[in-house]
Amino acid sequence: MKRNWIHPEEPQTGKRYWRSPAELERRSEFLSKHGVEFPSGDTLTEEEAGQSRRNFLQLMGASVGMMGLASCRRPLTHILPYTNHVEWVIPGKPLLYASAMPTAQGAVPLVVTTHEGRPTHVAPNPLHPLGGGLDAFAQASVLDLYDPERSQVPLASGKTTTWAKVNEGLQAILKDAKTDSGASLVIVVGSSTSPTQHRLLSEFKAAYPQAKLFAYEAIGNEGQATAHQEVLGANTKTFVRWSKALRILSLDCDFLGLDPIDGEAVKHFTKQRAKDKSEGGMNRLYCLENRYTLTGGMADHRKPLAASMIPAAAAIIAEFLDIKEASALASAAPPGLKEWLAPAVRDLIDHKGSAVVIAGSRYGAEVHALVAAINNALGAYGSTVELLEKGSSATLASASELEAALVSGAVKTLVSLTPSNLLFDAPLSLSGAIQSKGVKLVHLGHLPNETARAAALHIPAAHYLESWNDVRAGDGTYSVVQPMIQPLYDGASVIEVILALLDKKKLGPAEKPADGAAPSEDPVYQAVRDTFASVAGSLDEAKWNLTLRDGFLKGSSYVKSTGVINAAAVSSLVGKAKIPVAPKAEAVEIVLTPDSAVWDGRYINNAWLQESPDPITKLAWDNAAWIGSVTFRSLGLKNGQMVKLSIGDRSLTLPAIEAPGHVQNSVTVTLGYGQQNLGFVGSDSNGIGRGFNAYPLRAHASEFVISGAKLEVLADTYQLAITQDQNTMEGRALYREATLDTFAKKPDFAGKTGMDSHIPENISFYKGQIGRKTDENPDGFDYEKKHQWGMVIDLSKCIGCTSCLVACQSENNIPVVGKDQVVKGRLMQWIRMDRYFATNEWGEQKAKSDEVNIDPTGEQLENAEMVMQPVACQQCESAPCETVCPVNATVHTDDGLNAMAYNRCIGTRYCANNCPYTARRFNWFDYNKRPLDELYWGPLSNPDKTGMRESLQLQKNPNVTVRMRGVIEKCTYCVQRLEEAKIRQKQVQRDSKNFRIPTDSVKVACQESCPAEAISFGDLADEKSSVNKAKASPRNYELLKYIGTRPRTSYLARLRNPNKEMPGAERIAAWSAHQI
Amino acid sequence: MGNFFPRWTNWLPLKLAVAAGFIVFGVSLAVPYYFTPKYTRVGYEPTQPVPFSHKIHAGQLGLDCRYCHSFAEVSSHANVPTNQTCYNCHGPGKGNIKSASPKLEKVIKAAETGKPIEWVKIHKAPDYVYFNHSAHLNRGISCQNCHGQINEMEVVKHAEPHSMGWCLECHRNPEEKLRPLDQITNLNYKPEQLNRAGFYEGLLKKGIKADEIADTIESGKKASQLDEILALASGKYGEKVTQLEVGTQLKKHWQVQPPENCTTCHR
Repeated sequence: MKRNWIHPEEPQTGKRYWRSPAELERRSEFLSKHGVEFPSGDTLTEEEAGQSRRNFLQLMGASVGMMGLASCRRPLTHILPYTNHVEWVIPGKPLLYASAMPTAQGAVPLVVTTHEGRPTHVAPNPLHPLGGGLDAFAQASVLDLYDPERSQVPLASGKTTTWAKVNEGLQAILKDAKTDSGASLVIVVGSSTSPTQHRLLSEFKAAYPQAKLFAYEAIGNEGQATAHQEVLGANTKTFVRWSKALRILSLDCDFLGLDPIDGEAVKHFTKQRAKDKSEGGMNRLYCLENRYTLTGGMADHRKPLAASMIPAAAAIIAEFLDIKEASALASAAPPGLKEWLAPAVRDLIDHKGSAVVIAGSRYGAEVHALVAAINNALGAYGSTVELLEKGSSATLASASELEAALVSGAVKTLVSLTPSNLLFDAPLSLSGAIQSKGVKLVHLGHLPNETARAAALHIPAAHYLESWNDVRAGDGTYSVVQPMIQPLYDGASVIEVILALLDKKKLGPAEKPADGAAPSEDPVYQAVRDTFASVAGSLDEAKWNLTLRDGFLKGSSYVKSTGVINAAAVSSLVGKAKIPVAPKAEAVEIVLTPDSAVWDGRYINNAWLQESPDPITKLAWDNAAWIGSVTFRSLGLKNGQMVKLSIGDRSLTLPAIEAPGHVQNSVTVTLGYGQQNLGFVGSDSNGIGRGFNAYPLRAHASEFVISGAKLEVLADTYQLAITQDQNTMEGRALYREATLDTFAKKPDFAGKTGMDSHIPENISFYKGQIGRKTDENPDGFDYEKKHQWGMVIDLSKCIGCTSCLVACQSENNIPVVGKDQVVKGRLMQWIRMDRYFATNEWGEQKAKSDEVNIDPTGEQLENAEMVMQPVACQQCESAPCETVCPVNATVHTDDGLNAMAYNRCIGTRYCANNCPYTARRFNWFDYNKRPLDELYWGPLSNPDKTGMRESLQLQKNPNVTVRMRGVIEKCTYCVQRLEEAKIRQKQVQRDSKNFRIPTDSVKVACQESCPAEAISFGDLADEKSSVNKAKASPRNYELLKYIGTRPRTSYLARLRNPNKEMPGAERIAAWSAHQI
Repeated sequence: MGNFFPRWTNWLPLKLAVAAGFIVFGVSLAVPYYFTPKYTRVGYEPTQPVPFSHKIHAGQLGLDCRYCHSFAEVSSHANVPTNQTCYNCHGPGKGNIKSASPKLEKVIKAAETGKPIEWVKIHKAPDYVYFNHSAHLNRGISCQNCHGQINEMEVVKHAEPHSMGWCLECHRNPEEKLRPLDQITNLNYKPEQLNRAGFYEGLLKKGIKADEIADTIESGKKASQLDEILALASGKYGEKVTQLEVGTQLKKHWQVQPPENCTTCHR
């Protein structure tokens, strides 16, 4: 029998934290799932029932057959040692290499774990000046390498061709180019900081002076680039120093999430937010945005503001700082904005020299010009924002110029080297021109996508872990990207294609050297080394090796620029700007943003990212129209109901999703979804693309805010996989926060919230090993002779980016289950990023104690606060799951872990039902072995697709069991890493007593990947460990402490730093002892 | 009506029942023995592609185990040597030892083609068991404890059951197996060959107090000098050094606490 927790009765007077409006309003769609560990587990769905009836007999027959076939003899297995020893390789031990993942803005410095030559996991490079934490994209990039649906063979107009034909094709292009010195040839590259790429492009331009080079990214920053060029100077870039910024105002710049701007690592920002002493020094973030972003969630003050009003907001701030040019723009502002901004700007002015204003990279040049002038007036340049002198780079024209060139008809051949998908994501006028003008398209890409299939020649791209490359990080620090593995499918990198166009390399599999001859040097390697020589001053082998070892070249960052702000350019850019109009119900605005799973669409085939629910909407495997509660409710919409967005003759039909915190009359649509025929992740089994393609809504490549659109409600509905109401713990002061002031007055507020203030000494029903072993407590945990693991998660620092989820998935071989299973509540990720909205509008006077239902107004929902809380297994000392396991598959270890012995588990699921934190996951199917669209067929699934895909096997961590069907799994604090650390210490200890691992020398995967450094983990028995320091904080509290489970994971309550002069400041992070 | 069934059939049911009883009894005795690793694994002695003799190399020639299994002390795996290791001694143009022998044909061929020799796996832990060699070799467990008298085997065979119960037996009573670190790869090691004075002197040199050693020999006893320790030890264990004597001391002073948690081996 399931034991129901008798939670204390809900007080109805306090602040409320809720995951969905349905929870807040106690709607049946929430209540039906609430408290049920396995929502679809108790009864068979129609599909399941149908399948089992149809197949029961067949299955029985098959099993009997297999039993007969199973031989009693021991299967013969072989050991194949290396023939010649491989340098550095020790079988059974991973090798770590420093490398970097190139991005549009710069690079993510990495340490790559390889097992016998297979890269399996990436982690941040702590040595690098910008190192520290990864985003989910970088963390998941290793899966792209092994994507079974990756582009593997060259295509010619959609048909398989050979590498020889590819080389011939390129030769033909070169022959043409030689005759007209490249006049009809165009090369389109993505945004990249690779010095080698820029050097080779310049070389190409020198050889073919008439050829044109363009840069195109689906999600570009043309406005920002123009403003920077004209206001700050052509070769100058900005670099934000979070460590110096005490007052930050963000104009829809999601710098913690999807709009990474060049600046110090996120940890420098979060370091300024976790203060245990209230002496100040904590930074303050103001945020204006139309939808919730991770940055908005971290903000101390946030105002929902239509994206089309952002230029007006910038203009108002400029006006306060006596920058006169902006008054026309400022006049367009909606009422209330000026009043909201006034105290904020005063605060910025009070912190001259430590204040900074940042704007979303996708806004127009006028916004960025104003921001430059504002920052100049605030004394930000040289302190919070550094101006750096960019290195030399090839001159690349913009996307709009590309369109003009194509339309003119002068282009005969277009070589697309950009990671974007031209025929899918470029504006229709551009992609239409490519198709109608009969341009010969040569395409390099990872996926066999629209462009690849249509191109005259498609070349499979090499992954960044497969080829030599180099990059400059945001501050200019130079890194060499090392290949970790031979290209799995002979793919070519951008540099290789450019080298091929320079006639210096043949693409395709490397030619075998003649007998006895030494293999010829790889021209790409040569090219990178040549660039290194020019960056480092000389080709010093020692320096080269050191660069490869550390992952970067010391002292190679850009030099500081001496540039000054060009005020005239600011006025001319601002003068050119159109005066924005506030959106209305009949003319809404559409805001196009990158997607947290697929970015601009390039990660569409990455199942880890697709299955990580969006941090804000909790939507997996799809995109949708985010509509603010006011608009959503006035239209009478339901989650998943289809809406039609139209602007002129462009339109898009897609499902709607209610987004608390979203401004009214505004619709946010994420980009990148809706790509057809991309295999089993990017599209479904019928080849129909996942999600909905929003690119056709834009008229030109830099249009991300579309005003004057029409929003129509349709009758159809669409199944969305929203996880926000799954695995609820419901209420009871799970999330705790307060302002810096409250903390100063009442430092122990976290321990006095909810039931915590009046719980008796351990009241647990589940007795057992608890606490430290002493004479009075002989059954306790041994702190003298054992490690005692513990974890603290600092909610002041956690930004909710979901990088930990992906890191955990990569480290622990967690399977992907597919959209249908996510809908059924069977997501397998061990870490769950709980996103709560918070409202305290209904204070004591408003809510009646006998009334459970709360009827929020649209405005209350629009102004809800948003907080994030990652939850995994809490490693309870007095664990409820252990007492109910009939086979002792989950038991405690001496070092305080709640262990799972997978091979013992028989799948009763009692443990999951008894877990108050709903942290356990059940393998309903052989997710690793079966195709996701044929899970229900079991052993009868298509034999061609059955079994783990060969390439995916390569990714698995060899130190963790791959679980099978019918087994419960959950977080074990990366026990494989802990055991490895203990054994490593044994090799040092040998004949001594020195068994304890060096302080903080072991990191768990989520902690390692956390860009905010929110997770402390370590040995509680080691007094110097950082986890002990964190546990000593007065902000420390345990989830559901009153049930007496004694979790080893605890949380530090969040602190916020509101400005008392701001309107509504008293409501922000208001602490209430009776919150739920 | 005549009787259809002859008279002897009267006893048939009883006979069948008794026979079935015997069979059930026999099966219940046989299963716990024949269906366990003790029977199914011990003695497994497959033919290897190259007739490499441990008896010659490790026994007669006295090669250290780690000459070939070079990473056993640092890695989880005790690696099978690369072909290069064989070739260095036997390869023509290298050590050239018996390089013309037809037994070495495959080694020479592997060196030429680069294709590895497919050795047959003998000791195989299930996929969900994460055994680590380095954790044992660095802490006083010898190769011989798990793999038997390899130095006497012409063809290597499975000497011990390697079942979970067998592992736990040792994890519960490590003193029965622990030996000094310099004896780990000595496959002929016998505790009685140890010099008692040398053994205790080694412990004292490590900074372990004489009192502690004495207390470990017999609880409550004290000692200040080596002589007193030796007297105590010979009083307790007799003339020759015994395994229990060595094991108990090492367990205590190296703080050997073999874990019995699930996560030690299953992750």
